[in-house]
Amino acid sequence: MLTFRNMPIRQKLMVIIMVITGAALLLSAVGILGSDSILFRGYLERDISGLARIIADNSTAALAFEDSQSAAETLAALRARSHIIDACIYRPNGSILARYTRAGATAPCPAPRAGDSLEFSRTDLSASHPIVLNNKQIGTLIIAYDLGEIGERRQLYGGTVLGVLLASSLIAFLLSSKLRDTIAAPILHLADTTAAVSKTKDYSVRAQKLSSDELGVLVDALNEMLAGIQSRDTELGNALLSREDALFQAHTAHDSLETTLASIGDAVVSTDLEGRVFFANRVALGLLGWSEDEIKGKPLDDVFTIVNEFTHARLANPVAKVLREGEIVAVSDHAILLSRDGAEIPVDTSAAPIRRENGPVQGAVLVFRDVSSRRRADETSRLLASIVESSADAIFATSLDGIVASWNSGAERIFGYTANEIVGRSISTIATPEHQEERPLILQRIATGERVANFETVQRTKDGRLIHVALTISPLRDALGRVIGASTVARDITGRVQNARRLAELNASLQRTNENLARSNEDLERFAFVASHDLQEPLRMITVYSQLLVKMYSQGVDEKATAFVGNIVGGTQRMRELLADLLAYTEVGAELEDAIQPVDLNETLEKVKQNLNMAIGASGAEIVADPMPALRVHEAHLIPLFQNLIGNAIKYRGTAAPRIRISVETLNKELRFAVADNGMGIEPEYHDKIFVPFKRLHGKAIPGTGIGLSICQRVVERYGGRIWVESEPGAGATFIFLLPLSAAAEELLAKEKEA
Amino acid sequence: MKTQVLVVEDNPADVELLRWALDSAAVECELTVIEDGGEALAFVQQRGKYLGSTAPDLAILDLNMPKYDGMEILEAMRASQVFASVPVAVLSSSSSPRDRARMEAFNIGRYITKPPDLDEYLRIGLIVKELLAEQSK
Repeated sequence: MLTFRNMPIRQKLMVIIMVITGAALLLSAVGILGSDSILFRGYLERDISGLARIIADNSTAALAFEDSQSAAETLAALRARSHIIDACIYRPNGSILARYTRAGATAPCPAPRAGDSLEFSRTDLSASHPIVLNNKQIGTLIIAYDLGEIGERRQLYGGTVLGVLLASSLIAFLLSSKLRDTIAAPILHLADTTAAVSKTKDYSVRAQKLSSDELGVLVDALNEMLAGIQSRDTELGNALLSREDALFQAHTAHDSLETTLASIGDAVVSTDLEGRVFFANRVALGLLGWSEDEIKGKPLDDVFTIVNEFTHARLANPVAKVLREGEIVAVSDHAILLSRDGAEIPVDTSAAPIRRENGPVQGAVLVFRDVSSRRRADETSRLLASIVESSADAIFATSLDGIVASWNSGAERIFGYTANEIVGRSISTIATPEHQEERPLILQRIATGERVANFETVQRTKDGRLIHVALTISPLRDALGRVIGASTVARDITGRVQNARRLAELNASLQRTNENLARSNEDLERFAFVASHDLQEPLRMITVYSQLLVKMYSQGVDEKATAFVGNIVGGTQRMRELLADLLAYTEVGAELEDAIQPVDLNETLEKVKQNLNMAIGASGAEIVADPMPALRVHEAHLIPLFQNLIGNAIKYRGTAAPRIRISVETLNKELRFAVADNGMGIEPEYHDKIFVPFKRLHGKAIPGTGIGLSICQRVVERYGGRIWVESEPGAGATFIFLLPLSAAAEELLAKEKEA
Repeated sequence: MKTQVLVVEDNPADVELLRWALDSAAVECELTVIEDGGEALAFVQQRGKYLGSTAPDLAILDLNMPKYDGMEILEAMRASQVFASVPVAVLSSSSSPRDRARMEAFNIGRYITKPPDLDEYLRIGLIVKELLAEQSK
């Protein structure tokens, strides 16, 4: 809560002024109101008494003559005074002669009282006055007066006082603001200044002197004090600065040395004269496996152990020697550092004495370096060198102008020159005169960074042999990536080249043989075709003219001659059949012009049955066939196939009527057809022979040329299938043939099945 | 005037048989026989000694001849004004359907395979007679 004590000065001033003015005003208002109230009351008493007297005097006659009308008129004059509520003229017996009431008044007329009296009630004032005639009271006048006027006056006064109070408060407020500028402002400024100084510690701040009164004195005193503090503060600051500067410089020098040591890629360890570690940089700590705190003060021998790479014998600590002899000591060959955790790190080590410009030795510094990557590289290059050396291929390096720089043992074997003989000489030593130009051209390409792979050429060995080699030549680059030479891998491909040549010759001769065979085969086919075709003509002539002879001269020749002519006709007939079959056989191999069409084998079978109509009818054969698929084949091939098989089944029948069953089934990638009969059957030893052209098992009793099954085989084989027979004598025969299913045929087959 | 028949056939034995067949079928005709393909071509093209040759009532052509075969002669006939409408019977030693199909394009009257049997050969006379009868309608 804001108490007066804690209020800001400005508010305090304002409150004081307001309270003083308010109190003064209130007191004077109360005084004025009190006195006015008393004065007004006196005035009212006098006024009303006077009025009562006048009215009473004027009403005497009216009362005396009982003239109520005139009495009423007299009373009516009271209308001019608005605060008069009621007025009555009473007769001595107490009855009312006349009455005046203000409009709206309802109360009864106050009772008459003896004598001349005034009576105050809370709300009104009543005056009773006797009406006298000739000193005799003939009636009484009563007037009631409304005290509301007093209230109105009080309200008026109260309002005035309140207005004055408000106006004075406003004036007091304005005055207090003015007062603040003159009294409060300097004090506030002083307070702000001290607050600023204590907060910022800036002692150069001064308070502003705004007046020469007591406050002005206070400001002067404060400023003086601040000046004193400021000078002390400055001195102190200067002293501190110079000290810090010195410290910083010392630190910088130390830091830069330490940073330098820490940043060195090599491990650095320093020891004192006793060989105890007093410094080790980060690389050293990492390699040794110790922390900085642990290692300080330890004898170097405890933390730094080097052994021989191969023997693992401990090597002398170089620091000991340095401290003993004061000279720099280096250890680099095959030294291995055993770190704290047992890791073996190949290192190069050196140690040097610490001394100040020709002074005595104060300690030693040990520097060592992890050289595992370098040793690995050494090992790799040794390995590569041995690979190069053991390679069966020739590997050699030349400069860009073709001077041999290295020569492996493979090169010695292949070309016959030893490294000693050829290093430093031109590579053209092994070039043949015909290929002399190649190497410079290749080296030109190598110089531009290109690589030449598997370039085959001929080169000459030391003993003059010519060998075939395949060269792969790559640029050799220095560390900066510049091409400085060429490395060549040469493989002796003489054997391969000779083999390839031999193979090519063999191939060519095979091809020639093949062509010859094909040609002779073709010739043979053509011969067979022409022969069978053209031989028909003369045979026809022989037949027809023999018949003509018999016909024309039947009278002149005897039976014998007729029989001879019959033999001629029979012989030519037989030859014509053989030729016709030979023609049919060769035609199976001939190319057909017609495109391969889907052939419905059911229809094909019908055509075959039609062709065999006579034989079927004569033998009473019964033929049953599965539903057949459609195939993409030449029907001209399929007709003789089925016709020969069915025809044979009828021709070579047993004693019973032939029953022939033709079945088909789909195997994995083939169609398997079977033509089974109940005929005489075939001895197993003839199962193969029956397919040989013109091979027959039967004599003239069963006519035939022996070409039918050969044609069947040819047809089946033409479509990539095969045919065979399964039979026992007397138990019928089943001819089976497989036809591979081409994709198209399969498709057709599927459609067939859907339908 | 007798019916004029041009026969182009290189084999005299066949010509003889053809005469037999026409006689036995009682075909009254006069045969003009040319035994060489080149001659036959000259005839139908009315060249050289055949300058004034006239169209016969019927031509019988052997399909298989040296130099020019029946097909070429048929082509020349169909290309000439004089011979274009002469009815033709083709004799062939080939029964191949392919040969037969090739001839169809030339609007031929009959395609006859030379038969290997005397009786069948004599039937050619009847075939020719039939063809002549068709033409005279």
